[in-house]
Amino acid sequence: MVPIQETHKKFQKELSSGTVSLALLSILAQSKEPLYGYQIGKLVGAGDDDASGVMVKQGAIYPVLRSLESQGLLSSEREMSDSGPPRKYYKATETGQEALKTWTGIWEETKSFVDKVLGGDYQ
Amino acid sequence: MRTADELIRIYLQDLKAALRGADKATVQDALADAEEHLRTALESADTEKEAEAAAVQAIIAEYGEAEEIAEAYKNWEVNLPPALAATPAARRVAASADSVNPSAKTYPGFFGVYADPRAWGGLVFMLISLITGTLYFSWAVTGLSTSLGVMVLIIGIPIAILFLLSFRGIAFLEGRLVEALLGERMPRRASFTDSSLPWRERLKILLTGKATWLSWIYMILMLPLGVIYFSLTVTLIALALSFIATPAGALVMINLGIPFEILQSGDLIWYLSDAQAMGLSVGICALGVVILTSYMHFARWIGKVHGKFAKALLVSD
Repeated sequence: MVPIQETHKKFQKELSSGTVSLALLSILAQSKEPLYGYQIGKLVGAGDDDASGVMVKQGAIYPVLRSLESQGLLSSEREMSDSGPPRKYYKATETGQEALKTWTGIWEETKSFVDKVLGGDYQ
Repeated sequence: MRTADELIRIYLQDLKAALRGADKATVQDALADAEEHLRTALESADTEKEAEAAAVQAIIAEYGEAEEIAEAYKNWEVNLPPALAATPAARRVAASADSVNPSAKTYPGFFGVYADPRAWGGLVFMLISLITGTLYFSWAVTGLSTSLGVMVLIIGIPIAILFLLSFRGIAFLEGRLVEALLGERMPRRASFTDSSLPWRERLKILLTGKATWLSWIYMILMLPLGVIYFSLTVTLIALALSFIATPAGALVMINLGIPFEILQSGDLIWYLSDAQAMGLSVGICALGVVILTSYMHFARWIGKVHGKFAKALLVSD
């Protein structure tokens, strides 16, 4: 039998793979200026010291950002920084803004469906 | 007690080890992402020199364990087709459950090659490689000889560093071109040298680094390759197109009433009736189509081979 901890982990992973995309797209669509990975990571993980709220490790957002970029929802620009490697600044594209509206709709539907079921209010 | 720099380096090594088996380009991207993040975080934390090591440990904990992050990259990589594959056709294929790897898509039949973006990409790459090859070669030769010439002077060292850095920069740009046209997955981030090291160390890394010299060799080899690619492409395409145009030529001759005969000092040595001429020209036209289509296959194959070659030289381990 699979240890129960593993099951929890798997559930969290499956659940987060879509929501992280939504969260990152939303952060970048709302931001007035382009953001780079570290800034986004801080926004995602802000105020979460206990594991419960952290949906994603900061390091795991970079592949998601890349994926969103390859789908045309984000665009990026590299800028040199005074110290350290050049930074990659991301911002949402027009397509990304449009997608966010649709995704938000899907999220609302999903949320109300799950809330309904969890509340025993599904009959 | 380890310093902050050492901790970051150890983490990057762990991440590289955890990414074993992943695409080389993914590894380079992942390492660049991690290093950018960790250094930026350390800088923003603005801690005292003595507390830096502890700060880095906390930053790494927030970033995620090497295994976990490596897994995230591997998972997303599957859903992240190379630039060329991001065509509607490739997306449809990627969407179908039985195809995990969009590059495995095939275009069936001899003539299916015309629908394959990789064949067109290979063709364009071969055409522009004369220009890029000439530029790379000139830059590589100028850069190296200038650097060696002025290196004896202290003022020459910054010039040498700039040239050596430019080789890596060009390697990155060529990588983007190769991915866009040939569909070979190449780094989406340029590799960089650790800026916390003193310039003497950085110069040493640049000078002794395999990546610098492999990029240089690639730039040199691109001139002969470019000449070959370009000449082959132009010659064979021109030949094929002229063959394909033969029936049109025959029709013009028939309409103008020019007979298909060759005279030598007044004697007829070769003669074709109009019907024979049309038949022959249609045969030549068919041959032209075969040559053109074969060349498209060849371009796709060259694209694939050149992609592997570029990856071997331009992407460092």
